[in-house]
Amino acid sequence: MPKEASLDTETIIHAPCTAACPVHTDTRQLVEFIVNGRYEDALELLLAANPFSSVCGRICNHPCEQSCRRTKVDAPVGLRRLKRFVMEATTDYRQSRRQQDAPPLGKERAAIIGSGPSGLTAANDLALQGYRPVVFEKFPTAGGLLGNAIPRYRLPYSVIKEDIEDIVAQGVEVRTGVEIGKDILLDDLFDQGFAAILIATGLTESRTLGIAGIDSRGILLALPFLRTALSPQPPQLGARVVVIGGGNVAVDAARTARRLGAQKVTMICLESRDQMPAWQWEIEETADEGIEIMNSWGPRSVFDKDGTVRGLELKRCTAVFDSEGRFLPQFDETDTATVVADNIIIAIGQRGDVTCLEGSQVNLAGEGRITWDKETLLTSTEGIFACGEVVTGPGSAVEAVFDGHRAAKAIDHYLGKGELLKQPALELPHIGDLPDEVASKITVLSPSAVDLLAPDRRIKDFSEIERGFTEAEALAEARRCLACTTGALADEEKCAACLTCVRICPFGVATVDKTAAMPQDECQACGLCAAQCPAAAIALTRFGTNQMKERLQTLVPAIKDRTPTIPVIVSFCCLFEMTGRKFVREAEATYPEEGVVPIMIPCVARLSAADLLSPFEVGADGLVIIACSEGSCLYPTAEDRLLARVRQAKSILAEIGLEEERIDYWKTQGSAEVSWTAFWTLSQKKLSEILKD
Amino acid sequence: MIVAERKPLAEIRTFVEDYRRILILGCGTCTTVCLAGGEAEAKVVASGLRISFLREEREVEILEDCITRQCEPEFVEAVEQKVKDEAIEAVLSLGCGVGVNLVAQSLETIPVFPGVNTKFFGGVVEPGMWLELCAGCGNCILHLTGGICPIARCSKSLLNGPCGGTRDGKCEISEDVDCGWALIVERMKKLGTLDRLAEIIPARDWSSSHHGGPRRVIHEEVAVLSGEEETSDR
Repeated sequence: MPKEASLDTETIIHAPCTAACPVHTDTRQLVEFIVNGRYEDALELLLAANPFSSVCGRICNHPCEQSCRRTKVDAPVGLRRLKRFVMEATTDYRQSRRQQDAPPLGKERAAIIGSGPSGLTAANDLALQGYRPVVFEKFPTAGGLLGNAIPRYRLPYSVIKEDIEDIVAQGVEVRTGVEIGKDILLDDLFDQGFAAILIATGLTESRTLGIAGIDSRGILLALPFLRTALSPQPPQLGARVVVIGGGNVAVDAARTARRLGAQKVTMICLESRDQMPAWQWEIEETADEGIEIMNSWGPRSVFDKDGTVRGLELKRCTAVFDSEGRFLPQFDETDTATVVADNIIIAIGQRGDVTCLEGSQVNLAGEGRITWDKETLLTSTEGIFACGEVVTGPGSAVEAVFDGHRAAKAIDHYLGKGELLKQPALELPHIGDLPDEVASKITVLSPSAVDLLAPDRRIKDFSEIERGFTEAEALAEARRCLACTTGALADEEKCAACLTCVRICPFGVATVDKTAAMPQDECQACGLCAAQCPAAAIALTRFGTNQMKERLQTLVPAIKDRTPTIPVIVSFCCLFEMTGRKFVREAEATYPEEGVVPIMIPCVARLSAADLLSPFEVGADGLVIIACSEGSCLYPTAEDRLLARVRQAKSILAEIGLEEERIDYWKTQGSAEVSWTAFWTLSQKKLSEILKD
Repeated sequence: MIVAERKPLAEIRTFVEDYRRILILGCGTCTTVCLAGGEAEAKVVASGLRISFLREEREVEILEDCITRQCEPEFVEAVEQKVKDEAIEAVLSLGCGVGVNLVAQSLETIPVFPGVNTKFFGGVVEPGMWLELCAGCGNCILHLTGGICPIARCSKSLLNGPCGGTRDGKCEISEDVDCGWALIVERMKKLGTLDRLAEIIPARDWSSSHHGGPRRVIHEEVAVLSGEEETSDR
């Protein structure tokens, strides 16, 4: 009996971004790492979830963004571009990481057929689990459709290579140019010592149309066309190209044709603009590149001259799907049109190439479709599993990665325990939509915009059309994250139901019935309630000051010992003003020797009165609080609340006979780099005067 | 609710000056709610004292704790143990006067000092502001005065007001003080019972107030039954 797979995350309520991501990337943790300048940790997080993180940083269809709760306020957080930023910011680290010894591989061998995202992900996981995976790729280049079809203006090969190099460094062997079913028979792989086989061959072939004239010269199939377009001898096209289809492959074909010199490119698709299966942003970019999209038309016949294509006759498509949503196009044969064409590219769908099954017992369910169990991933033959698009049908790269993970689990269980593992489809529970009344109170922050290359420049060649975020843009974008589900938690044992949280919550979400509660689907994690709770009963899921206090405990006395004549200042600085980690790292390293201890805080308004006094407890002479710049605080009322606590801390100092002026409050001006050091100098100078007196 | 206010640290310092291990004890009920002596305030007081002793290079250990209610012997028992275990030399209670009393009674040989001034029985009239609303006089007449207490709210605690010192709703003693009787009149108007104020409230018996030693309230239903103590282990 197959064993049921358990997922320890089932009981946790997730943020919608994480739940929507097929590989459940912990996006909020990712963003938090970025905000803190911990790009290497962010990289580790990404690679643990998805070995194709560089690729997905470029081309992911980002379901995380589509489900981002910030959409209700302004626009989703640019998580895909943030991912790209991390991958670009850590290339050196990744290089050195790759050179470290991979864990030793075991003896058991697994054969993976196909080096696309699903196959290589499975291979990567299996290597990490101690197997010896060998990947067979029929094309000369690894990467599946990523390497052999997706145009370089979207995905440069160097990007795919980065991911594949990591996978190879884990001990995965990739044999390109070997076609199973021709060069080696599937069943022979068992004889060669492979204990399990995974078919992950994807959908590498294009479907064709059964209309009159389809065999004319000048008619091309999309995937072979895209493959050749990547080769040193790209196809020669005429001036007028028609692409039939409305999906992502059709879009790739049309935009590639434009770049290969076609003057007039027209897409013909059955669907209306809203129904087109291609991603919305791809459709917009396509239109920007001067490609005409003729929606709600179907091909009727090809007309030719002497066997060479001259154009396409169209008929009006009145409906694409039937009442139950099944693909069943209806046409109005009386409403027709024609488009002239020197080439027609057919991009109406893909199919698998099942050459690898030659001579094997693996059953087929239809043309190019392998019979397989969607929960155990087993084909009709023991020891042979299948994953990815060849069995799931067309999907995104990240979905293929997810299926690769599942396949590795299935094979590991099969080889390790000798039984099959059932992995039913699971939907992670998430907190749902942001309530309107909360959304209306959230500060609007425009996303860091990245302009694409101008359309007329784009179509000149295959240069990548999008640039990555700069560090400042990435940090600004990361701070837009609403940190869903990381909000305040009240300790019922301690809560005195004093209502302070209810009275100060700037989003109106805190409630007190018998004790305080901050509903996770509403709380914005500003932490104002936690800083103000008189019972110290509220804590933020992902913010605390204990570590900071411990650091001060060792740092401040040590500095005072080393430089007894210089007044020592602790500076709590708003981390959100950081535009680059270099400055902060340098400041943290060098300023203590000059008597300044910078401590980065993700929103200084989260500091309680006791937190503000803590530097003095360990011997600091002064405190400099540097908040964000005017008008840039994320949380309404936060600054006023902080200022009240600053006054409270000052009055405590006065009560014990210390000068209130030992505490300075500044607002960042311009940027951290521009203003912070000036504030430190001014405060230190003032403090020297105080100490002299 | 009992409303209190933290004493200035300079004054607190004088109480604990001579001790080397001091426990700052917050109270998790009234003084938490009125922001005078909960766990967060205990941390602030402890921090202030630590800074203060540090400036003089004196090695004084300041510990913090907070219990549910200092006015209950059962809750206070835990403090007794802590004081023993931690070799505490003095306790600063941030509970109201009741808490200080009970903690002091329980600890017997360890000095217990008040960290707050217990002010009054009151409530929040706006966030951050507490107002005295009840004088605890022991003989409630709020049914006669529209739910507004003349003993607490009238500066003279008049039973038949207002007096000649009422000025546009304010009391003659300060523009910041509402005339309690003006409030009563307005409330009675809203209730449609203004005519009741024509009846003179007779001079009252004040013996229920702060006279004749500490007052008691007894609930026999939960009182210790006779003989119970003898059969207990103690």
